[in-house]
Amino acid sequence: MAGTVLFPTVETASGLLITDTVSPLLVEFPFEREYVLDTLYVSLYVSLLAVCFSTLFSLPVAMAVGFSEFPGKQFLVAVINTGMGFPSVVVGLLVLFTVSNQGPLGALGLVFTKEAMIMSQFVLATPVITGVSIAAVTSVEDGVRDAAYAMGGTRLDVALATIKEARYGIVTGVLAGLGRAISEVGSVLIVGGNIEGSTRTLTTAIQLETRQGRFELALLLGAILVALVLLINGVVLRLGGGRI
Amino acid sequence: MSKQLRKQSYRPITDGLAVSDVSHGFDDSDVLEAVSLSVQQGETLAVIGPSGTGKTTLLRLLALFDRPDAGTVQLHDDDLWALSERERLDTRRQIGMVFQEANLFDTTVRQNVSYGLRVRRSWRDRFKGWLPGVGSEETNPAITDALAVVGLADAAEQQASSLSGGEAQRVALARTLAYEPDYLLLDEPTSDLDPRNTALIEEAVDTTRAQGRGVVIATHDMHQAERIADRVAVMLDGRIIELGPTERVFDHPDDPRARKFIDGELVY
Repeated sequence: MAGTVLFPTVETASGLLITDTVSPLLVEFPFEREYVLDTLYVSLYVSLLAVCFSTLFSLPVAMAVGFSEFPGKQFLVAVINTGMGFPSVVVGLLVLFTVSNQGPLGALGLVFTKEAMIMSQFVLATPVITGVSIAAVTSVEDGVRDAAYAMGGTRLDVALATIKEARYGIVTGVLAGLGRAISEVGSVLIVGGNIEGSTRTLTTAIQLETRQGRFELALLLGAILVALVLLINGVVLRLGGGRI
Repeated sequence: MSKQLRKQSYRPITDGLAVSDVSHGFDDSDVLEAVSLSVQQGETLAVIGPSGTGKTTLLRLLALFDRPDAGTVQLHDDDLWALSERERLDTRRQIGMVFQEANLFDTTVRQNVSYGLRVRRSWRDRFKGWLPGVGSEETNPAITDALAVVGLADAAEQQASSLSGGEAQRVALARTLAYEPDYLLLDEPTSDLDPRNTALIEEAVDTTRAQGRGVVIATHDMHQAERIADRVAVMLDGRIIELGPTERVFDHPDDPRARKFIDGELVY
């Protein structure tokens, strides 16, 4: 509006225009922009890939466990459910041993790499996705599977029909796994080493910036992380209610 | 063992969908013992008997859900469990089954009714069906025809979850009719339905039989059996104690227990 400046703007070094009223909060932001985006990218890259691999592993396991009866099934389900609350630092430690020079995967040189972080997040997300998917698959009534079979479905068709019926629960499990992976700090710190531009995630960056007294940046990273987790949980809640 | 049962047990069954000397059980308890019967295309066979007498187990064996512990399931002389898995799948696809519960998928009526057509397509055709402009099974006129038979031609785009119990059961029948099986197995399809929906189902079953399909209906409703069946089998304790034309079975059953059941004196 000509002649009326409600929020006077200031041009920053990066050419970004920000208002005077909020500029004190973001005084370092133009400098940190690349840093924040890099950290966000590493977080999303590691967590999304880990959850993709975990889903590919978890779904067949959930189908096999949900569809069949075998000795020790209840014990296996109990182990999977226990895994949902497995301490992440212990997972980090185990993965670090696995990829260290003396470990079975030592030859691959994965210490302090994104791949090692993906492994640790895979271990953390898998029990969540598998456990919720088993519950979702077993909640599909036998009659639905019988109907798919009676209409000429193969075993694969019946499995796909069951997955489709359990889709809300399965997606809820995947998103819950993503929530666990992306908000995780202990294990990625141990196996990733928190190297800037390489293995630094939102959570490990927050931990570092807080220790260094850069609270504004830590808060900004925290706000991004909280927004991501809120978004994921919002989708989980909506799916849980079956409204999508 | 009754005279009638002995006669059936040794009669070679040469055509139609049949079980021959079939026995089957679960967890050390016998559900079926030496059961033999067959249904031909173009006829309706009602299997009646008290609850828990093995009617559902018999239908599940005919639909190839389970392999019998003894005896054979046959279609046109072929022992179906001696066939390869691929051949058995092809045979299974000539048989349709409707259950006591509708068991509809959580999607639209059209997608429910198209399911049987979809699984009969090759994976290549199924993927092609996702492309815009390429016809998927959901546009197949058989879907509309099947829905018309059960009086739900206008309900194709409705969500299955929005249907009443009677409508859902009619959709369950329509999705079986859509792929035109040679044999239709109905397990207590109207036990939870009101008289109007029951009449619509019976009418659809009669149309199906008139189109040349063989129908087996398990029911504990003797009046229904009398209304729609050409032949009736009376089951008791896992055995068939009476089998014959509907009129004879109801008017002059050989087995005194069948007489008692028909007269409502056999209480379980």
